[in-house]
Amino acid sequence: MSSKRIPRVGIGGPVGSGKTMLIEQVVPLLYLKGYKVGIISNDVVSREDADRMRRNLATEKGLMAEDLVIGLATGGCPHTAVREDPSMNISVVEEMESKHDYLDLIIIESGGDNITTTFSPALADYFIYIIDVSGGDKYPRKRGLGIETCDLLVINKIDIAPSVGADLTVMDRDAKTVRGNKPYVFVNSRTGQGVNEVAENIIRDVLFEETPKALVKH
Amino acid sequence: MNTNYDPQAEEINILQLSDSFFPTGMYTTSSGLEALFYSENKIKNPDELRTLITVYLEHQIGPADCTALGVSYGCIEMADINELIKVDRTIYSMKLIEEVRNASVRSGTQLLRCVNYFLPGNEFITKFQEAIKENKASGVYPVALAVASQSLGISKYNSGITLLYTFIVSIIGAALRLGMIQHLDGQKLIHELKPSILATVAKNINRPLSSIWQFTPGIDIFQIAHELMPSKMFIT
Repeated sequence: MSSKRIPRVGIGGPVGSGKTMLIEQVVPLLYLKGYKVGIISNDVVSREDADRMRRNLATEKGLMAEDLVIGLATGGCPHTAVREDPSMNISVVEEMESKHDYLDLIIIESGGDNITTTFSPALADYFIYIIDVSGGDKYPRKRGLGIETCDLLVINKIDIAPSVGADLTVMDRDAKTVRGNKPYVFVNSRTGQGVNEVAENIIRDVLFEETPKALVKH
Repeated sequence: MNTNYDPQAEEINILQLSDSFFPTGMYTTSSGLEALFYSENKIKNPDELRTLITVYLEHQIGPADCTALGVSYGCIEMADINELIKVDRTIYSMKLIEEVRNASVRSGTQLLRCVNYFLPGNEFITKFQEAIKENKASGVYPVALAVASQSLGISKYNSGITLLYTFIVSIIGAALRLGMIQHLDGQKLIHELKPSILATVAKNINRPLSSIWQFTPGIDIFQIAHELMPSKMFIT
């Protein structure tokens, strides 16, 4: 059981929408500001995403210790693991909190799932839902709990929009209608375009622009 | 000690704790079945799955977990937290495979948290949770279930039934998702295993801690194989 809750961001979205790559882009930006991050990656059938992030962010870039990227299997039920019964995720988060109380943020990646995915508030304080343009420009107006209720909607792979016949102005219009005053952002996670805005949203709305723990003078 | 006992509510409390909707994360466990699925020793039909589950019940969950649950009830009735911690440590040490051990602890601690959420202030749940927080106890599932179900006025025997029932539902659920059996087969298997559940609980629920045992070397081996799998859908 943990002594102090570390802020948690949940990232969900369909298979292949770019959840893992978004994390790989956001974490270095947070690191540059001094924030230390742990990652729990829920995979549907493998530890591929966790292994990739560990290799990229920890082993190669040295932005975090290797044991700060944990892969978690979900029994083939990714939405259940973050919504109806997040007990295994909560246990792992609390283990991370008690072992690494210096962390500023824990990111929980959902296994790829459908547009009804949401995170339990007991598990995540802030919910990012990511879709990509290859599903067609109808995606935002199709709604779904994830698109409608998330704290930040990310629309990824904007570079391939012309190739898949997706009109970004349509997606922008529909996202505005569906989201109301809630934020959304267009990104290209491969190049990093727009990702800074995602990091800024996290720093402002989750970390409340507090000084990173490692930089606080005692 | 339980101070909220309501005999009228026991049945509905059993239903709540044994429902797969109850948040203990057991849907993420296959008890090694996933490793078996990818091995050369595939389960070929529901009969083979029933045989495997029966071995689990009679040689591991019954004489180990069910006995630990029964002894835990005695500790709770005697309000003896130190003896309960001893039971917790014993059954924890008998879970030989690390991922099985971790899954049991995670399910147990989340079970306690959930019951404490809707039934706050139970003295023994609080004491046991403090022991877990201080690393004196692990919170392993059969002991946590004893503490939780006793606080809800569930009898020792019925708590034993709940333990075995939730176990077979989790393993049959995993078999369904792995495509080993079909949904009607799953319910038929649960029905066919009812006599085995009842007999296993009756045989093990009143045994002393000194008689606790398990012997399932074949199952241990494929659970180790699961732990070593590079790619998997289930935690165990």
